[in-house]
Amino acid sequence: MKIVPGKYTIELFAEKHNLTRDSAINKLSKLRKQGYAQVSGGGKQKRIYTVSNKKIREPNGFFKILNKYSPEKIIPSFQHYVFGKYTIEKAIIDGLLLNNNIRIRKAMYYLFNHIENWKRLFDLVKKHNLEKEVKKLYREARQKVRVKKIPKRYEK
Amino acid sequence: MINNEDQNQLFKLIANYIEKDISCIAIGGTAMIFLGYKNATKDIDLVFNNEKERNVFVKAIEKLGYKEKSLIGIYDKKRQENKYKLKIYSRGEERFDLFVKSVFGFEIELNNNFTQRNDFIEKKELNIYVIPEEYLILLKSLTSREKDFEDIQNIIKKKQDIDWNLIIDEAIKQKNSNSWILIDLEETMQKLNKIIFIKKKYFNKIYEAQEQKY
Repeated sequence: MKIVPGKYTIELFAEKHNLTRDSAINKLSKLRKQGYAQVSGGGKQKRIYTVSNKKIREPNGFFKILNKYSPEKIIPSFQHYVFGKYTIEKAIIDGLLLNNNIRIRKAMYYLFNHIENWKRLFDLVKKHNLEKEVKKLYREARQKVRVKKIPKRYEK
Repeated sequence: MINNEDQNQLFKLIANYIEKDISCIAIGGTAMIFLGYKNATKDIDLVFNNEKERNVFVKAIEKLGYKEKSLIGIYDKKRQENKYKLKIYSRGEERFDLFVKSVFGFEIELNNNFTQRNDFIEKKELNIYVIPEEYLILLKSLTSREKDFEDIQNIIKKKQDIDWNLIIDEAIKQKNSNSWILIDLEETMQKLNKIIFIKKKYFNKIYEAQEQKY
């Protein structure tokens, strides 16, 4: 069966592929498990399936964290996938290394509120030699938005 | 053959064995797996920025039991004598093709021109960048293997908005270091033209660039 990529509801998928409703549910479920479909909605909302002809992977890296905490949402310039532990502290370093644009920089202000481990941040800062840049970004963030205070020992 | 899941697990394992954080670029089948065009590949092709980073990677895979293999019988003499000689490591059915900077004359650099980044964070960090589909098409058109043409067809069927200008511009940029690049690309495009429509202006661009050479 040739599946045409696009967005579908169950009914539409059944109609377009000449299937019964139950078969459409089964097929979409299989496609989702194989990674060729993603579903949004559910519960009171109608489910919308996004079907693709290549495997869909949900990015989980820098932009995912950035957009989770920042009110200004950024369109990712690349897909970032992480296998392992990706922390807020690492995201701050990645953001500085990307050195992309003012929008990313502004969105990064909000990451400081979610730092779990300042030591981890400053260990990474040391490793990447970004001490000045991080402190500059932090000062900017303090001026523009409400940001958690940095522990005194890292303040200098 | 190595599939998507195995490949990710293997990179995670290697991230535990490398001695420092390193970055590399995935090309060929590996890149196609990352981009979702393929489920399995015969070999894992990686390009490193410098010899040092490749050595860090090699050390790690040697600890895991991978052994260096001779290039004889796998690649022709010209490719064996290439300046940036590739190294092949294998263990059972899995094989790594490890390049530095260039893939048989086609230079690949780690700049901002990548479409995907995969970070394998374990004891150390292994960052694998994936080049855009356009570069994959160009690289695969340089080999005259039937399997590579099938891969190109696979990409083109699934990604309709291929930027032919980007492919041709890159080929023109690299024509000095790779004298056959424009000819190989044109040949591939002619074959593809039987499957999908490629505008004549793109062919003309290649012909003009080719003429400029002489």
